[in-house]
Amino acid sequence: MNVSKTPFNGYSVKFSPFYEDRLAVATAQNFGIIGNGRVHVFSLPPTPTGALTEIISFDTADGVYDLAWSESHDSLLIAAVADGSVKLFDTNLPPPQNPLRSFQEHTREVHGVDYNPTRRDSFVTASWDDTVKLWSLDRPASIRTFKEHAYCVYSVAWNPRHADVFASASGDCTVRVWDVREPGSTMIIPGHEAEILYCDWNKYDECLIATSSVDKSIRVWDVRNYRVPIASLNGHGFAVRKVKFSPHHRNLMMSCSYDMTVCMWDFMVEDSLVGRYDHHSEFAIGVDFNVLVEGLVASTGWDQMVFVWQHGTEPRGP
Amino acid sequence: MATESSSPPNPPAAGGTPQNSATETVQPANEVKQDAAPQNPKSVFVNSEPIREDQVQNAVKFLSHPKVRDSPVFHRRNFLEKKGLTKEEIDEAFRRVPDPSPSAQPTVTNQVGQGVTTSTIQPTSVSQTPVPIITVPSSASPSMFALARSRFHWYHAVFAVGLLAASGAGTAIWVKKSMIPRLKSWIRWVVMEEKNGDGGITNIKPTLAEEAAAAAKAAAAAASDVAKASQEMMISRYEEKVNMEKFMDLMQMQVKEIRSMGSAIKHLEGRSDKIERTHLVEHGGHSGSITKLKPTYPNGNKPEIDSHSARSSLPPTSADKSAPPHPNSYMDDINDQPPNPNQQISNPRLAPRSKPWEGAYQAKTSSRGGFGSALNGEGGSDFGAQNNEASNQVDAQSTVPWWQKKNSRITETDYVEAKPGSTTVVQTNEQPPIQRTWVPPQPPPVAMPEAAEAIRRPKSKKEAEPVSQETSGEGFSAAEVTDELQRITKISESGGEVEEMHSGGQGTNGALGGLKLSEIEEEPVQSY
Repeated sequence: MNVSKTPFNGYSVKFSPFYEDRLAVATAQNFGIIGNGRVHVFSLPPTPTGALTEIISFDTADGVYDLAWSESHDSLLIAAVADGSVKLFDTNLPPPQNPLRSFQEHTREVHGVDYNPTRRDSFVTASWDDTVKLWSLDRPASIRTFKEHAYCVYSVAWNPRHADVFASASGDCTVRVWDVREPGSTMIIPGHEAEILYCDWNKYDECLIATSSVDKSIRVWDVRNYRVPIASLNGHGFAVRKVKFSPHHRNLMMSCSYDMTVCMWDFMVEDSLVGRYDHHSEFAIGVDFNVLVEGLVASTGWDQMVFVWQHGTEPRGP
Repeated sequence: MATESSSPPNPPAAGGTPQNSATETVQPANEVKQDAAPQNPKSVFVNSEPIREDQVQNAVKFLSHPKVRDSPVFHRRNFLEKKGLTKEEIDEAFRRVPDPSPSAQPTVTNQVGQGVTTSTIQPTSVSQTPVPIITVPSSASPSMFALARSRFHWYHAVFAVGLLAASGAGTAIWVKKSMIPRLKSWIRWVVMEEKNGDGGITNIKPTLAEEAAAAAKAAAAAASDVAKASQEMMISRYEEKVNMEKFMDLMQMQVKEIRSMGSAIKHLEGRSDKIERTHLVEHGGHSGSITKLKPTYPNGNKPEIDSHSARSSLPPTSADKSAPPHPNSYMDDINDQPPNPNQQISNPRLAPRSKPWEGAYQAKTSSRGGFGSALNGEGGSDFGAQNNEASNQVDAQSTVPWWQKKNSRITETDYVEAKPGSTTVVQTNEQPPIQRTWVPPQPPPVAMPEAAEAIRRPKSKKEAEPVSQETSGEGFSAAEVTDELQRITKISESGGEVEEMHSGGQGTNGALGGLKLSEIEEEPVQSY
């Protein structure tokens, strides 16, 4: 029920793991094709309606495709930038003193970033140069590079229970499960017949992983038996851009799609669609659950809007 | 990575063999699978299927196809992966098909030059080493071929230029020789016709000429009209501009009069802020006055006024950082490089909060090794003060935040009672309701019995492990270790002693967690 308009097109929204009322939005000019980018940090107002208050914002030379809050420092943000750099921002410092770091190693756009929620000391980035890189805040260069995918890697996600395991989703139609202690991928899941845009682990069952794809479906896989998906959720009219598992319910998921809707799913139920929000007027690109407040969700899209609402209520307000 | 030697219940031999030694036959893989699954929780993320011979046969047939031979090896591998073959199966197929082309194996690059990973890829390195060697000559040959091709290209270009020149010359000669005589004869024929067909053609020709002349005249007339019109417009514009200026002068005079009257009034009223008012009016007053008068001006003069107002209003707005001057234009002058690349990352102000799924599951593997060592290094005394600061800031909110209100899990009364506390109290209020209503699912039967056993071991043992590794026990109670509140209050009580963070709170680490703590500690300790 809180809405805000950003000057650029929204790409990703993430709630802070430290503050219930704080979220960050990654935006890019001109739909991310060319131009600058901006990272906004918003605070939820005490009233149920009204605009989000912007705490601070950082400009970048190229669009920001994704961001991740640090799990170890409450004020640090990692931004995945379209010029191949990975930038570290400190929201406690004013913009002229930011970014703290800029890691330039990827040779193409960095499309995804995820911070390790269990070990809290490292993060991985996914790039269109077919590689995934592992980083730590204190090191000036990446720790490892994982190069196996045959096409752009669109997203990475750490396993919420195993600190060394993460999965990557790629345009080569596969999801790979990696272990940082192993030299290569430990599992290859040929999940869809089309590009896989996002993957996310179930927070309550460490073996379940959801993938969303250009073929408009979301599939939930059990890595112990990955030949057949546990569930295949159809209902979106166009490619599904992101899918997230709820941090409070084992079966609840949320997805956003190019059909401009945000959908809620329960994959254990026969008719899985439990909610559909049609509040965006352009591609819905980013969604997130608030880890600290149950039911609070946010979404952003190319219509430059950021919505924050309680699942079950109307995003645009009464 | 040094962590591999000390990694917990992951016997790399058991978990790694299915993927590393693809030369093994199906049977050992089966045995390994049965052994690995119950013992090793990590192995769920590894292909534990045996190598399917039929798939390998299909892959071999695919790879033996001549067309496939021509395609890059990377594509072949990707195709097989998409078909659902596991790594071992693909490796086996490649091994069976004689494959002289460049590297089929995934490249492993280590940025910081850590050679430790090579220890784990010993089995695969055997197959990898011949391949990189082959890569070198094959990469050399394409480059030579490219070079040859480029030389060939150069000659080719010279040849093409020569050919073009020759063809050009030939065309010129041909035109001279054949086209011109033809043209001349055609003209003669026309003249003859003209002489013969007196009436018709002579009529046509003059009419043509006349029409042309008439058209030219009309064009000239139109041009002159246009010129006249534009001139008139310019004159009128100029006149209007002059009128405008006169008008503006008059208005300014009037404004001045009004201003003086206003100041006189204020003087009479005895207000003291009139001085500031006049200052503002003088500096930004142009904009104020002109914008007020905007609606009354005719359309044609609006742009000028806008430009005036924009210019003079720029100084006040430039101080306002948040509004970009050109929101939709392509700004390319942003310098987003770090101003101080060696800037220290400041201490976190808050402790990391536990995740809802972690608290519920009781098998927390989180280690705040990285975070904790940061505090260790920089001094933990700041922490207590800062935590109080954070909580004070939250207390400033007098109303219940709406997003908390709507939360069906939290009862209103509980929340309100706990309000005077800090944010962490809020968090603990959230935790118990969630745990009450959420029923943990049955733990997976096979996956990690060892871990489950470790969890069910007496808590003292778990406490002892991390405590012994970190610091001497502070004597805090082991009773409610998963209670966030207790942990945080202890921290604030003891004035932010850092050691609490490590061994308190979620001390339900099993053997997993304990060992994990150690392995994490080794790594980043020097960095912070």
